[in-house]
Amino acid sequence: MSAQYLQARDVTISFDTPKGRFTAVKNINLTVKRGEIVSIIGHSGCGKSTILNAIGGLVRLSAGEIVLGGVTIDAPGPDRGIVFQHYSLLPWLTVYQNIFEAVDSVRADIGKSEKAALVESFLKKVNLWESRDKKPAQLSGGMKQRVAIARAFAIHPEVLLLDEPFGALDALTKASLHEELVNLLQMDNKTDTVLIVTHDIEEAIFLSDRIVVMTNGPEATIGEVIDVPIPRPRDKREIVHGPEYVEVHDRLLYLLMDAFAAHKKSAA
Amino acid sequence: MKDEAIIRGGWPKGSWRRFTAESLWQGAIGAGKSAGYMLCGFAILLGIWAVVSGVSQSLPGPFTTLKTLARMLADPFYDNGPNDKGIGIQLVSSIGRVFAGFALGSLVAIPAGVLMGASSTCRRLFNPLVQLLRPVSPLAWFPIGLAVFKHAGEATIFVIFITSLWPTLINTAFGVGSLPDDHRNVARAFAFSRGRYLRRILVPFSLPHILTGLRLSLGIAWVVIVAGEMLSGGIGIGFFVWDSWNALSLERVMSAILLIGLIGLLLDRGFDFIARKVSYAS
Repeated sequence: MSAQYLQARDVTISFDTPKGRFTAVKNINLTVKRGEIVSIIGHSGCGKSTILNAIGGLVRLSAGEIVLGGVTIDAPGPDRGIVFQHYSLLPWLTVYQNIFEAVDSVRADIGKSEKAALVESFLKKVNLWESRDKKPAQLSGGMKQRVAIARAFAIHPEVLLLDEPFGALDALTKASLHEELVNLLQMDNKTDTVLIVTHDIEEAIFLSDRIVVMTNGPEATIGEVIDVPIPRPRDKREIVHGPEYVEVHDRLLYLLMDAFAAHKKSAA
Repeated sequence: MKDEAIIRGGWPKGSWRRFTAESLWQGAIGAGKSAGYMLCGFAILLGIWAVVSGVSQSLPGPFTTLKTLARMLADPFYDNGPNDKGIGIQLVSSIGRVFAGFALGSLVAIPAGVLMGASSTCRRLFNPLVQLLRPVSPLAWFPIGLAVFKHAGEATIFVIFITSLWPTLINTAFGVGSLPDDHRNVARAFAFSRGRYLRRILVPFSLPHILTGLRLSLGIAWVVIVAGEMLSGGIGIGFFVWDSWNALSLERVMSAILLIGLIGLLLDRGFDFIARKVSYAS
C-alpha cells in the first residue's frame, strides 16, 4: 500500500475553451510512495500545475483516475494541503486569521483553544508570530509564502501540494525557504509526502527524491522520471559539487533544453 | 462599470499614514493648500456670477442670493400651512424620501446583484432586462407609481426606488462575478462551508464594489428627487424650487441650488468615509 500510496492512472485532462477542446495533459501514469518528495518540472504550459490541481481535487479528470491511500480522489480534502502559486492569502484577513480560518474549517475534531494553539505553533515555526496581526499587503513575498506554507501544514495533511511555491521570490529568499520547508517536513510527523511543481532545476534537485520531467503541451505527458540519489540531510553548498548532483543536473538540462525543448514559435 | 473604475480610482487604498509630528505638519500644509484652492475656486465662481447677474438683470446676484439664503436658514423649520414651510422641513422631507426609496432599492438590488454575479443562469436571465430598463429615466415610472400607490409621495419614493436599483445591482453583480479563482480555490482546498465562504470570502471581497454601487445610487437618487418632487408637488426641495419659480423668487431658487449641492456633497463624503473603512489592500 505505502509503495503505491498516491497513484495517477492514465489521467487525461481536457478543457472546453472558446476555441474548442484543449487537452492539457494526456496519459499521465505516476506512482508516489508514502514519504516521498517528488518534483514535477517542465516548461510553461506543460500542464504540470494541472496535474497538481487534479491531485488536489480542484480539476476534474477527463479520463483515468487518481487514487490516494486506496481512495479515488474527486474533490479537495483535508488529507491534502495546497500551497498556491500566488500565495492565495485572503487580503482582508490578518496573517493569524488566514491560518485560523483554514484550521477552523478543516479541523472540526478539535476545540477552539486547541485550534488557537495549533495556529500559534505553526506561526512560530515559520517565524511569523510577531507579524500575526498584519495584513498580507504589509508582508514581503517571502513572508506571504511562509504564511501559505504554515496554513497548508496547519491542517495536518498527509500530502503537501506546492504549485511553483517559490517562483516569484528572489534567489536568497528562495534558498532560505527551501531549508525552512525541509525543516518543517522533518519536524512534522503527519505531513511527509510532497509534490512540488517547479521550473527551477536547482530547486527540484535540492528538494526531491524523484523528479518528473514533462514533455511540452498541449497533450503533455511524462517524458522521464529521474531519481535523485543524494543522501539527506543535504547541504546546499556541498551537494552542488557531488557527482550525483552534476549527473542529475546535466540530465535535466539535456531533457529540458534539447529533448523536450520549448517549441520555437514562428513569428505570427 | 465605467463609473465604478473612476470612483475606485479616487479611493486611497491601503495607505497607512503614521502619525508622526512630521506627517501631521505635512498634512496641515496639504489641507491648507487645498482649502486655499477651494476658496479661490469659489471666488472665481462668485466673480463670474456677479458679472453675469449685473449684465442680465433677471438673474439675482450673489449678494442678494446669500442674503435670502441667510434669511431662509435663520428660521428653517417654520410651518405656515401646506404651501409655506421652512427650507429645513423641505430638505428633511426630501432626504427622508431619498433614504426610504434608496433603502428599499438596496434591499432588492444587493441580493439580486449577488445572484446575478454568482450564477451565470441568473445573469443570462436578467442581464438583458437590466440593460433594457437601466437607460430609462426613473421619472418615466412616476405615473406607474401614481397609478399603483394613488399618492404622489409614495410615487416619488417609488421613483427613487427604481433609481437606486441599477448602479447597486450592476456593481454588486460585477463585484461578486469578479471573485478571483484564487480565492475560490482557497475555499475549496480548505473545505470552507457555505457560510464561511460567504462571510470570509464573498462578502469581504464584494463589499467595496457593493458600496461603490450604493454610493452611485444615492448620488443619482439625490439628483432625481428634485425633478421627482417638481412633478409630485406638495413638499420637498424639488417642490420648493418649482414653487419659488412660480413665485418669481430666483434668489430662493439659487439658494436651494446651493443647499442641494451641499447636501449631495455631504451624502457622498459620508459614503466615502464608510467605503474607506471596508476597503482592503490586495
